[in-house]
Amino acid sequence: MKTMARTQLPKLDTLSMVTMGLLMAVQLVVSRFTISNQFMRLSFTFLVAALLAKWFGPWWGMMTAALVDIVGTLMTGGPYFVGFTISAIVGSLIYALFFYRQPITWWRIIVAQLLVVVLVNIGLNSEWLVIMYHTPLWGILPVRLMKEAVTTPIQIVLLYVVLKSHVIQNLEHRLKTKA
Amino acid sequence: MSKFLFGRYLPLDSIVHRLDPRNKLMLSFCYIILVFLANNWLSYVILIAFTLGAIRASTIRLGFFLRGIRPLIWLILFTVALQLLFSPAGGHVYWHWAFINITQFGVINAGYIFIRFLLIIMMSTLLTLSTQPLDIATGLASLMKPLRWVKVPVDTLAMMLSIALRFVPTLMDEAQKIMNAQRARGVDFGEGGLFKQAKSLLPLMVPLFMSAFNRAEDLSIAMEARGYQDSDHRSQYRILTWQRRDTVTWVLFAVGLALILICRRW
Repeated sequence: MKTMARTQLPKLDTLSMVTMGLLMAVQLVVSRFTISNQFMRLSFTFLVAALLAKWFGPWWGMMTAALVDIVGTLMTGGPYFVGFTISAIVGSLIYALFFYRQPITWWRIIVAQLLVVVLVNIGLNSEWLVIMYHTPLWGILPVRLMKEAVTTPIQIVLLYVVLKSHVIQNLEHRLKTKA
Repeated sequence: MSKFLFGRYLPLDSIVHRLDPRNKLMLSFCYIILVFLANNWLSYVILIAFTLGAIRASTIRLGFFLRGIRPLIWLILFTVALQLLFSPAGGHVYWHWAFINITQFGVINAGYIFIRFLLIIMMSTLLTLSTQPLDIATGLASLMKPLRWVKVPVDTLAMMLSIALRFVPTLMDEAQKIMNAQRARGVDFGEGGLFKQAKSLLPLMVPLFMSAFNRAEDLSIAMEARGYQDSDHRSQYRILTWQRRDTVTWVLFAVGLALILICRRW
């Protein structure tokens, strides 16, 4: 929680504000590119959410996550439900607590992603499906657990590769020095 | 792919299309509560009548709505099937085997849930099909205004959102170009196992981040050159107006709500 106390929404410079807007656009675009086999689909929006949280901290991370969730759902015609916005917010908060102003290490990424998977993907999202459609919890839980068991390692590796990549570190440096 | 995200809006001219986007956002939000309130056949019949009425008023063909259901079809079938097989005992038992019971109670419940799915999806599809993305953004920004009281930087978020929406089509084209460029150099997108597919997307993601950031730099300089300082203390060019037809929709909504409350006996 220390990370949150340290950031009380300072006034944004124009570059940071515009970068956040562009990253939100990237997130909306990336949500259209999924990889899949017969059984499951995996989208890459978590990468952008993690990047927003890492660069701009918990408050901005949570707010942009909420907006992207709402606008993304409304524009694709999916059924909107507040629960999934809360999920997006919690996910972004977890990323920020682990990544914002912290060095990127395997452990941080593994723990953060595991927390996101257990709390958000398995916990909250199953709960929302139960509330919204009365899907029996014990019916969906095994399916979800299997899916997450396969996708979580992929997500962890991708997070590491992207957050550690030279391009991303370069961009972060440019953002910091110009701001 | 850009068709999928932005082309979903259907530029028709109907009463629903001309409603205030703020109003449509609030209505579709409250509609979900209405669906949760319905709990017997009569209340569902009322809901179906209202939904079909709204669809009729939008002059959009029913086929578009059926297409909105397609991505969720497995969740729907799965839920209905589970509901059918594992519902608690109650009413007449039609079929029984081990711990699986198909009861009257289960069949009725499965029916309700099927209808509930259809109704929620149809209404949210209606919102998407009848409202331009930019209007959705303007509407959202205006609905967020009260959040100022809890110190949410509403104006800044509205500005970010309009930047994001403006650049979605641009970045979508960019993503396609990057993909084609990488394909020309031998990257196979969407082939092989999950892990291989994930790896092949990195040559898309990283350049996309790079390009987004370059655009952000250029845009922020251009904005400052045009006198932009911060998002508060600015005037607005796009102004939404609440009209009589918007009030009428809420009268209809109230009638629907009253009917459903009467049906479920409070």
